[in-house]
Amino acid sequence: MRLTDASVAIRPRSVWEAVDLGVLLAKQHAGLLMLSWALVTVPIFALLCLLLWDYPSIAVLIFWWLKPAYERLPLYILSHALFGATPSLKQALKALLGLLKPQLLASLTWRRLSPTRSFDLPVMQLEGLSGKARSQRLIVLGQRDAGGASWLTIVGVHLEMALWFGIISFVYMLLPAQIELDWTWDSLINAASGEWLWLEHLSNLTYVLLLILWEPIYVACGFTLYLNRRTALEAWDIELVFRQLRQRLTGVAYALLLGCGLLLMQLPNSAMASDTPTATASSCPLPVEDPMGPEADRLLKQPLTSAEAQKSIGQLLDQPPFEYRETVTRWRLGEEPKEPSEEDAKALIELLEKFFKLTEFWKSVDAVALFFEVLLWVALFSLIAWLQWRYRDWLSAFAGRLRLPQVRTYQPPEQLFGLEVAPQSLPADIPGEVEKLWDEQPRAALGLLYRALLSRMLHEQRLPLKKSHTEAEVLQLVQALQQKDLSHFSQALTRHWQNLAYGHRLPPAALKQGLCNAWRRLFEQGAQA
Amino acid sequence: MSPTPTPASVAARPLLDTRYKVETPEGIDLILRPAGVVPRALAFSIDLLIRGALLGALFAVLALLGQFGMGLGTILLFLVTWWYMVLFEVLNQGRSPGKQMMGLRVIHDDGTPIGWTASLTRNLLRFVDILPFGYTLGILSCLNHPAFKRLGDIAAGTLVVYRDNAPAAPELPQAEPIRAPFSMSLSEQRALLSFAERAQSLSSARRQELASILAEPLQVPAELAEQQIHGIARGLLGPT
Repeated sequence: MRLTDASVAIRPRSVWEAVDLGVLLAKQHAGLLMLSWALVTVPIFALLCLLLWDYPSIAVLIFWWLKPAYERLPLYILSHALFGATPSLKQALKALLGLLKPQLLASLTWRRLSPTRSFDLPVMQLEGLSGKARSQRLIVLGQRDAGGASWLTIVGVHLEMALWFGIISFVYMLLPAQIELDWTWDSLINAASGEWLWLEHLSNLTYVLLLILWEPIYVACGFTLYLNRRTALEAWDIELVFRQLRQRLTGVAYALLLGCGLLLMQLPNSAMASDTPTATASSCPLPVEDPMGPEADRLLKQPLTSAEAQKSIGQLLDQPPFEYRETVTRWRLGEEPKEPSEEDAKALIELLEKFFKLTEFWKSVDAVALFFEVLLWVALFSLIAWLQWRYRDWLSAFAGRLRLPQVRTYQPPEQLFGLEVAPQSLPADIPGEVEKLWDEQPRAALGLLYRALLSRMLHEQRLPLKKSHTEAEVLQLVQALQQKDLSHFSQALTRHWQNLAYGHRLPPAALKQGLCNAWRRLFEQGAQA
Repeated sequence: MSPTPTPASVAARPLLDTRYKVETPEGIDLILRPAGVVPRALAFSIDLLIRGALLGALFAVLALLGQFGMGLGTILLFLVTWWYMVLFEVLNQGRSPGKQMMGLRVIHDDGTPIGWTASLTRNLLRFVDILPFGYTLGILSCLNHPAFKRLGDIAAGTLVVYRDNAPAAPELPQAEPIRAPFSMSLSEQRALLSFAERAQSLSSARRQELASILAEPLQVPAELAEQQIHGIARGLLGPT
């Protein structure tokens, strides 16, 4: 056993952590452990089934009782695998017969129901202790981790049950719904009484199969509990580091010794050539590299020497997270022009000569060129003209919008409120006409007056009236002109017009003269003046 | 036990360990210790017993109230079933009473305290872990996952770890502090310190044996090596 070869991290752990380590250890060697366990247990179970076909419960009980015997095999595999010497399947199975011999009877009788079975097994199998030595050893070891081993067994029992029922109910769930199942509790109890032996054997087989999964883990957990206890008791972790430290330090000493040896071997040479400058060099101490320095080769006896480590570090640093290489392609000017050599100059002169020849040739073809030039220009212009003609509609529709918005000339509307307001539609003498109409057709008279007012406002005062304006809005606009008389007149006229037009209320007769006079005063006088 | 170890195979894979390292953005390794199926099963059993006792007592009292009491009891059953774990985990630093007794706690994968989302997810998904019967899927997942996660843990991104208890100040044997005659790495210094710390729990023969490993590099006779190491440990510890 060499601790330096251990494949698990050796340090004192808590009880539960030791159990967890067992789970990981079993997982690491899961293939071998499960296969070997299956190869041993399944044939035994098959044999038991054949022998005790009519008593499936007894068959599984015997199988269960024999568990300590099978457990020796996983422990053998694990104890070898721990130090890197994992046995092959064949070796393990061969070793099983030898493993079974010692204390089998005790294991299968009075120690069978011990809750610390997994923890005790390594003492017997790996330390080979028996009798009083064994029990003393167990007392020492059991001072701390035995409780954990008991809990492991208790949890293990429940775990086996949970997995057993789990697998059975899983299989039950997988039964297609078409299969009519009229299982009742009666029939199940009958099954127990021997009617459905095959079913019971099947359920026992489930137990055997789940043990393939669980039992190696159980043994591994007991083994790691044992290892953990010994680690704490014998300070394995300290021993491991001490041995490595000693190896490092004594390794350095050997290196120094070797270095001195080499130095001594070289001394005679330098003595013989004492007139060469090397003599003075060798007489002073050679710059020995600090053996503990960061650059020195260390860990020379390890599988991974420091030089190799440095190499792999370099490789790692070359890889993406640390090294980010990017290829950028850009256009740039060509190489710097070289010093023009004679050949280059000659070539240049030749080129120039050729160029001149070419221009002379071009002069001769000038007329042709002119013709084509004209042709091309004509083609271009005709293309533009054609395009303009072809897209004239589009241009008139959209190009017009491109111009600056123009000031719109105000077009006074012809009608307001459905009344003609053009000056030419009005009679020349408005007050006279109104007075004439007032008595017989007051509506026409007042309407005429209002029309005339609007017309005057539009065409004389240049009020920007629109068809959408209401009477009140017209009034506001009139008031904005700030002519007091006009405002009063407009207000009165509008009110009476509204009363008549919408309310059908006749204006008082006295109003006729007032309005006509006001009109004359406001407009005709001004016009005369 | 094994006469022919193969160093290459040992070096090829890292040592098997239960530790789980989380590297913080500052480059510090947080070492977490995930808890496996056995302590977790025990913690769950404790919680189950507490819940059972709680509900039993409540129902006994509420049964006196007749139908109203049964209605109330049903509501309480819902609350205890679905919220017992969540409330304890979020409000009590990831520790339900069972976990507290077993020295466990729940945290996020990155070591941060568990929040409402993760706790609800992992506890609602118990109903997946329970399938098909008695936590079969949960057990299988727990046994197979390197950090012992059940399906709910995988979905919620949580981890059940052992709590770190505050270490007690160790008693070092009396010795004259001295300086080590060679330079040592951190783990070597720790080993020397823990040799001195654990001297009480080791037998004297074993102490002698361990110390004699270092007798040659220390350039002292094997009998004096132990005292020498204690002295170096004192020197490493510094004035206390």
